[in-house]
Amino acid sequence: MANVIMASSNAKPLVSPIQSSLPSKPRIQIPQISLPTPKISQKFISISSSTLKSLSLLAATSLTFSPPCFAEEIEKAALFDFNLTLPIIMAEFLLLMFALDKIYFSPLGKFMDERDTAIKEKLNSVKDTSEEVKQLEEQAAAIMRAARAEISAALNKMKKETQLEVEAKLAEGRKKVEAELQEALAKLEKQKEDTVKALDSQIAALSQEIVNKVLPVQ
Amino acid sequence: MNVLLCSINTLKGLYDISGVEVGQHFYWQLGGFQVHAQVLITSWVVIAILLGSAFIAVRNPQTIPTAGQNFFEYVLEFLRDVSKTQIGEEYGPWVPFIGTMFLFLFVSNWSGALLPWKRIQLPHGELAAPTNDINTTVALALLTSVAYFYAGLSKKGLGYFSKYIQPTPILLPINILEDFTKPLSLSFRLFGNILADELVVVVLVSLVPLVVPIPVMFLGLFTSGIQALIFATLAAAYIGESMEGHH
Repeated sequence: MANVIMASSNAKPLVSPIQSSLPSKPRIQIPQISLPTPKISQKFISISSSTLKSLSLLAATSLTFSPPCFAEEIEKAALFDFNLTLPIIMAEFLLLMFALDKIYFSPLGKFMDERDTAIKEKLNSVKDTSEEVKQLEEQAAAIMRAARAEISAALNKMKKETQLEVEAKLAEGRKKVEAELQEALAKLEKQKEDTVKALDSQIAALSQEIVNKVLPVQ
Repeated sequence: MNVLLCSINTLKGLYDISGVEVGQHFYWQLGGFQVHAQVLITSWVVIAILLGSAFIAVRNPQTIPTAGQNFFEYVLEFLRDVSKTQIGEEYGPWVPFIGTMFLFLFVSNWSGALLPWKRIQLPHGELAAPTNDINTTVALALLTSVAYFYAGLSKKGLGYFSKYIQPTPILLPINILEDFTKPLSLSFRLFGNILADELVVVVLVSLVPLVVPIPVMFLGLFTSGIQALIFATLAAAYIGESMEGHH
């Protein structure tokens, strides 16, 4: 296992010269590769084909994680390369949080809450007006009743008044008629008396006249 | 020996054809430190997309929402729902964290598949999703760790540490180990998924440039979304877990 790891770790420098060199002369490069690690290359030969496969797999994996370099220097695969980016991203995130809170979360959230409460209040007030309407209806009914009562009272009053007036006039008329009747009767009586009186005064002459007429020779 | 060389050469040929560049970075020097410029550039683009679209859509909220505002309201409801499900009733203060986590990861992941980064040539390395780099995922995972420690400590004070001997003190090592496995699993899951996804697409495109990669691309989009959701949901779950009471 240690060999394998060593081989894989050696694979990187093995690969890099090939990549940096021109593809026309790869043959020349191969002896160079085996030079610094002769022991391992000897071991390579003795390794069975199955281990070779696993080796190539390992090399492949090491390749995917250590990409080909472009410059002369061998660049390590910096997948887990922590540096100043980390605190900068932290600061950026915190700034973003405060900025979003200022322009988005707080104002819009407040606005939405206010709208919710306003809508709820309006709904409640609508319920209240239904009660108010009922109250108003009752009031209207009361007013109508009062008006009707007033009208009927006025009507009654007027009826009574007219009746009284009529009766008064009637009584007056009757009184007048009676008075006139009385007067006429009195006049009649007076005339009768006058006539009787006149008759009384004439009675002696008249009786003389009658006697004279009845008794002509005396 | 020849067999080995042959296989290496064929692999190298495939490698050159496919143009896969793994672990290649475009370095910037920043005060003696190195940074991965391609990650920073793409993260800036992602942040610009997020802030710009949010600003345009939410600039002037209407009572009857416009199409863009409606979309952002839907997203916000979704994020609140995720936070509420995982954290519970006290989810309010954590919505920005969980929401930003999800949105940043989602847009990052999808940008790797949808934006034509490859059109922009870099001197070295190539532009890809920011989540393609271990620095990003570890940064976010560490922030998650900090967040759930903060949540637990602010909620329960030093009593938070009593959870390490729950339910029995025998589990103390495992409980301590969990604090390391959480960010590790978070970061490596995301990193591995996104990297593998992009690699599969690149390799398939290099082998069969027509039709065949399309289902894989769609699968990649799906995986990217799911990974963003998983990361955000797990972050919320960790926060909720450290906030809930141990009785």
